[in-house]
Amino acid sequence: MNNSGERLRAAAVGYLNARPLYEGLDREPASGRLRLDCASPSEVARRVAEGEADFALMPVAAAATIGDLRIVRHCAIGARGAVRSIAIVAEQPIDTLDELAIDLSSRTSVVLARLVLRARKRQREPRLFGATAKEAIAAVSGARGALVIGDPALEIEGRFPHVLDLGLAWWELTGLPFVFAAWCGREGALSASDESLLVAAKAAGLGRRDAIADEHAARSSLSSASLRAYLHDAIRYDLGDDERKGLERFYDLAAGAGLLPRARVRFFDDDRRNGATTPSLDSLLGRAADGERLSAAEGERLVSEASLFDLGLAADAVRKRKHPHNVVTYIVDRNVNYTNVCTTSCRFCAFYRPPGHPEGYVLTREELAKKLKEVVDAGGVQILLQGGLHPDLRIEWYEDLFRWIKREFALGLHALSPEEILHIARLESLGVGKVLGRLRGAGLDSVPGGGAEILVDRVRRKIARAKCTSDEWIGVMRVAHQMGLRSSATMMYGTVDTVQDRIAHLIKIRDLQDETGGFTAFFCWDFQHEKGTHIEPGDNGTVLYLRQQATARILLDNVDHVGASWVTQGPEVGQVALRFGADDFGSVMFEENVVSSAGTTFCMNAEAMERRIRAAGFKAARRNVRYDWLTLPG
Amino acid sequence: MLDTIVQKLQAGERLSFDDGLALFRHPDVVSIGRLANEVRERLHGDRTYFNRNMRIEVTNVCVASCLFCSFAKLEEGAPGAHTMRIEEAWRELEARMDDPPGEIHIVNGLHPGLAFSYYEELLAGFKRIKPDVHMKCFTAVEIHFFATHYGMTYREVLERLRRAGLDSLPGGGAEIFHPSVRTRIAHDKATADEWLEVHRVAHSLGMSTNATMLYGHIETFEHRVDHLLRLRALQDERGGFQAFIPLAFHPDGNGMRNLPAPTAIDALRTVAVSRLMLDNVPHIKAYWVSMTPEVAQIALCFGADDIDGTIVHETIYRAAGSRSPGALTAAQIVRLIQEAGRVPVERSSLYDVLREHPRASLPEAAVNVRERKATKHLEVLS
Repeated sequence: MNNSGERLRAAAVGYLNARPLYEGLDREPASGRLRLDCASPSEVARRVAEGEADFALMPVAAAATIGDLRIVRHCAIGARGAVRSIAIVAEQPIDTLDELAIDLSSRTSVVLARLVLRARKRQREPRLFGATAKEAIAAVSGARGALVIGDPALEIEGRFPHVLDLGLAWWELTGLPFVFAAWCGREGALSASDESLLVAAKAAGLGRRDAIADEHAARSSLSSASLRAYLHDAIRYDLGDDERKGLERFYDLAAGAGLLPRARVRFFDDDRRNGATTPSLDSLLGRAADGERLSAAEGERLVSEASLFDLGLAADAVRKRKHPHNVVTYIVDRNVNYTNVCTTSCRFCAFYRPPGHPEGYVLTREELAKKLKEVVDAGGVQILLQGGLHPDLRIEWYEDLFRWIKREFALGLHALSPEEILHIARLESLGVGKVLGRLRGAGLDSVPGGGAEILVDRVRRKIARAKCTSDEWIGVMRVAHQMGLRSSATMMYGTVDTVQDRIAHLIKIRDLQDETGGFTAFFCWDFQHEKGTHIEPGDNGTVLYLRQQATARILLDNVDHVGASWVTQGPEVGQVALRFGADDFGSVMFEENVVSSAGTTFCMNAEAMERRIRAAGFKAARRNVRYDWLTLPG
Repeated sequence: MLDTIVQKLQAGERLSFDDGLALFRHPDVVSIGRLANEVRERLHGDRTYFNRNMRIEVTNVCVASCLFCSFAKLEEGAPGAHTMRIEEAWRELEARMDDPPGEIHIVNGLHPGLAFSYYEELLAGFKRIKPDVHMKCFTAVEIHFFATHYGMTYREVLERLRRAGLDSLPGGGAEIFHPSVRTRIAHDKATADEWLEVHRVAHSLGMSTNATMLYGHIETFEHRVDHLLRLRALQDERGGFQAFIPLAFHPDGNGMRNLPAPTAIDALRTVAVSRLMLDNVPHIKAYWVSMTPEVAQIALCFGADDIDGTIVHETIYRAAGSRSPGALTAAQIVRLIQEAGRVPVERSSLYDVLREHPRASLPEAAVNVRERKATKHLEVLS
């Protein structure tokens, strides 16, 4: 329990319907006990997940994803019947829609929409695609509908002939209220007196609903009367036994459909009454092996408490279910580092040279041609082209290079990690979408997932200060995926990261994958500590690698493939990793400059690779970047 | 299939030839590892042993012509043939007296031209330099060679060498006992029965020894199980084996260079099955020189409780293309063990505990496993 003199760090989604709950908190006595920030739902969830907020008013889907949170009784944003602000709209009957434009980042609404649509026993679910509210509304026509949320939903009331209010649909489906958001925090984060501050603030806020509606009306195109009715009648702020049942039903249905981790509804005062109880590790392992979606808290528990064997066998079960043919793939490609000149100076990197350094290079066309010809001659199908952030290479240089490669060589182009894309965007003052569009036009086929390191900014600031933030990395991938470019995802751990950081990383990958489905595969490895790098290794070692990879296989239920990083771990450990959840053995390596500058030098040809795959009990098949088999498994 | 084996293990019942075969053939190596780990933890908990040792090979001249060997040269004067002058060998220890090893491990070719006194003098000289150093020297194959070459019984050879300073025998030269393999890969040195008899005599003299198995070449799983059972039978007599060490075949530069090396999965499986079959041998060693330090770390969870030592000067696997480092420092070994979530225990050659290291600087995950384990029976560990 936080009884220290320090003020609690609170966060809340800053939406209209949340104001009655949080507005009173910036006045005494609450303001002396806590400091409140308003932010977007994803940011609010991130702060709780990464320990930057003690508790938050957050969407219930985000709470389930973090896992093992406690909820404040008596306060919620919910509905008992029609909610008005979350609705599917269309020109034709909702049950006949083929496509639904939707803000995919609003997880609770997306899950609710899916559950409601599934329950209507349609032949098939409409395909969901991501869009802003404005785009979604504009996209409505024929068999294409939109899920509209918040103010825009109120603004278009009455505009479309067919409307499915999701609050009402839930009520009709279950006979229970729906809870959209509630105050959540980790076990022990709030005392009984802290909770009473929140309840008192709510009581005061409910009395100000008319004033809040009027203020909002003045800043929007919505009428005071409509907003007053919305805050008084549509939105319900209670969280009692009925609402708890509604939330429990939502969590049950969502977990059953694989849309959310299985979550329990626990109030802070449940702990105070009954003491905290923890489900057994065995039941958690069983659910992991069954392929259920697990929360971040459950992932942390698995990686911290489960034995190497339990993790390995659960990951193997997941692998087997996803890839029942008992095939492990590999790709014949080559890692080409077009330049080692880089402006970021990452402390873990032994490869880069600063601009002007005598050892800096940019590969010439002749050097490249020689390397690429060797790839073609060896039966290779693509190159992985990455380099430092060179301050003088302009987008035209990349476009020319890509066109030349595509013209001269029959090779896939798996090129430029998000950091390099952002670098080009900054250099050219272009948007990421524009840069990716031009590069794709010049021949880019897919985007490698390097540079993710750990997608937690506290860690990134320590090991790679000049690199992009987590949001920027994810943002580039989101744009790439939305354009139809596939990518891999990676994780480099073992510096200053903790168990929580590594799990948070996996959850961020999983969340984006829910939105875009663009990741083909996940690879992880530990920091390769050798000469020329400037940070001390943290959690490290071969056994930890196997644990991390197995945990990733278990948590990333929506990513098809997990690859063993034999380049960093060695061919021997890479082979063992195939029994810990991996279904891919990565690349036959010609060269890999970045890792080998830090001292790791391994080599393996296709024959040795296949021999190891078979000796691990699998059939081997070559693949392309989309993981299609190029050879018959054998 | 595994069920009956699990039942036997729980009942403390001995595994049969067919059980051993089933374990080698079972497709799921992780499940085999889990079983072996349970036995390992029952015997040793998390303790994982290592020592400070140094290896010296005084001569690579050898009258035997084993197919798997990249080390031996047949004759003195052949290219690459080398025999140390006795003072050269001693100098290896003298040069390290600021941080001296606790054990010297000497394994040689079968040199036809040296006097027996060379070996006696060699041992005595090391003891003069460091009286408490443990001399673990000469495989059973060498002891057998000395007996035939110098016209003595095994007992006479061992007693004379012991008087000169010999403390224990290493486990080398066992290769694969089964004659259908042994006659093909090692036809002109001690037979299986001779190898076992040397160890029997050593045990009867109160001398501790080790045992090995060179796997992953032309032998079958049946041959491996047969090998383990012969060792188990001898161990039943006097219990003189301290440790069993599976050795992976390395193909570079020898008569079986066309064969691929066994993979890491095979290494882990062999460690695990050895732990399960050899119910009367106290220690199973993950010899990092043979399997790489990385795989050896995993092997500490697959039945092994010992990771050998600092080694310092290994040349036999080097010659066969091993890419393991030539030596590890004690600190590196301690970290290697800690990363597996185990407790490093520096031991003497006879497994007296010299120093138990802390679990400190463990990966966070392993620390948590540790805390949880304290409350759970027979929990397996990462």
